[in-house]
Amino acid sequence: MIEGIHLTPIGDGNVLLEPGEGLDPSAPESLVAPVLEFLQRNEARRLVYDLKNLRLIDEVYYAWLVKLDATCRIANVEMVTVNMQPAAAYALSLTLKQSPPFNCALDIHHLR
Amino acid sequence: MAKDAPKERTTNEILIELLMLNVGKISAIIEKQGQSIFGQKNLLSNNEINDYSLEFLELLTMLLHAGEKLDRRGAEYKALRQFFGNFSQQIQVRGGDMDEFVRYVHFLQGTFLENLEADKSVSFEKARAILLLLGGIFNDIILEVFHIYLEGKEKTIKAQQEELKQTSTPITEIWEGVLTLPIIGSLDSSRTMIVMEKLLQRIESDRARVVVIDVTGVMAIDSQVSHHLIQMIRATGLMGATAILTGIRPEIARALTSLNIDLSSVTTRSKLSEGLKEAFRQMSIEVSRPGK
Repeated sequence: MIEGIHLTPIGDGNVLLEPGEGLDPSAPESLVAPVLEFLQRNEARRLVYDLKNLRLIDEVYYAWLVKLDATCRIANVEMVTVNMQPAAAYALSLTLKQSPPFNCALDIHHLR
Repeated sequence: MAKDAPKERTTNEILIELLMLNVGKISAIIEKQGQSIFGQKNLLSNNEINDYSLEFLELLTMLLHAGEKLDRRGAEYKALRQFFGNFSQQIQVRGGDMDEFVRYVHFLQGTFLENLEADKSVSFEKARAILLLLGGIFNDIILEVFHIYLEGKEKTIKAQQEELKQTSTPITEIWEGVLTLPIIGSLDSSRTMIVMEKLLQRIESDRARVVVIDVTGVMAIDSQVSHHLIQMIRATGLMGATAILTGIRPEIARALTSLNIDLSSVTTRSKLSEGLKEAFRQMSIEVSRPGK
C-alpha cells in the first residue's frame, strides 16, 4: 500500500495509477521506488496515470509527474497520463516551455 | 434713524425670480424648441418633451435654492446631472445623437440669457455673474452627457468585439473524433484564452483525437501570435489529442523562421485538406470513392 496512490493492473501490461488525497507530490523520492516495485512485480509495460480528479496541475505536481516518468523509462515502462481536465491542461500549457516527456491520452479507451 | 438700503439680490435670487415670473413663457419656448429638435425624428413624444421641460425647470430651481455657491457634490446638482444623463440615454436608445442633445442644452442656456436681457433691473456685474453660473452648469451637463455617450459607445464596441470573438472561431467536428478550428484574423491573449477554453472543452466533450488548426485566415504573425499557437497545440497535446497545423502561407513560414520559432515537433500541412488527410491517416480512416 502506497500512501495516496492506488495501483491496479488492468490487463495487457497496463497498470492504472489513481492518485488520492493523501498523495504528497513534494516528496517524490519516497513514492517512486514503491511504484516501480509494483510495476516490475506485475510485469507492467505501461503506467496509466489518471488525472480526472485533478483540477489543477502546479509546478510541484508537474515535477512529480516528470520524476515518475523518468523512473518508469529506466525500467522500460511507458507512462501515459489520461483524463487531464481542460482547465488543468490550459493552466499547465501556460507554464510549460516544452512538451511534457510523457505521453498523454484522452482516456483509458484511447491509449495508443 | 437712516433707513436700511434695500439688500442687493444675489445671482441665484435673480435667476429664481426670472424663473418664477417667466416660467410659463420659458417652458413654452423650451417645449417648442424641444419638439422641433426631438419631435421631428420622433425621438420624444410631445408629452415626454413637456414632462422633461418641467422637470428640468424644477430641478434647476431646486439647485438655485440650495445655496449661493454652486455645490457640485450636492444632492441637487447630482439630481440635475442624473436627469440629463437619463434624458440623453433615452435619446440615444431611440437613435438620436449627441448633436441634437447638445443643441438642445445650448438652446436652454440661450433661453435664460434672452429672458435675462429683457430684465433691465439687472446690473452688468450681475448679468456677468449669472452668465458664468449658467455657463458652468450647462458645461457640466454637456460633459456629463458626453461621458455617458462615450460609455455607451464603448459598451457597444466591446459587446461587438466579444460577439466577433465568439463567432470567429467556429470549432466543428468534421468527422468523429476530428475537430477543425479555422483561425481568422489575429490571435491576441484574450482571444487565445477564449479559443483555447472552447477548444479544450470540445476535445473533452467530443472525445476528439485530432484537431486541425487552420491558419489560412491569419494575415500576419508575430512572436506573440506564434507563442499563442504553440500554447494551444501544447494544451491540445496535454488533453491527449494531436494537433495538426495547416494553411501556413509562405510569408507566415518566413516570419516564423525569422522569429526563430521551432515548429519541428508540430505536425504541419500546407492546406486544410492535407491536414484532414493526415488526421484520417492517424486515425486509420480510409476515405475512397465508391467503386474504387
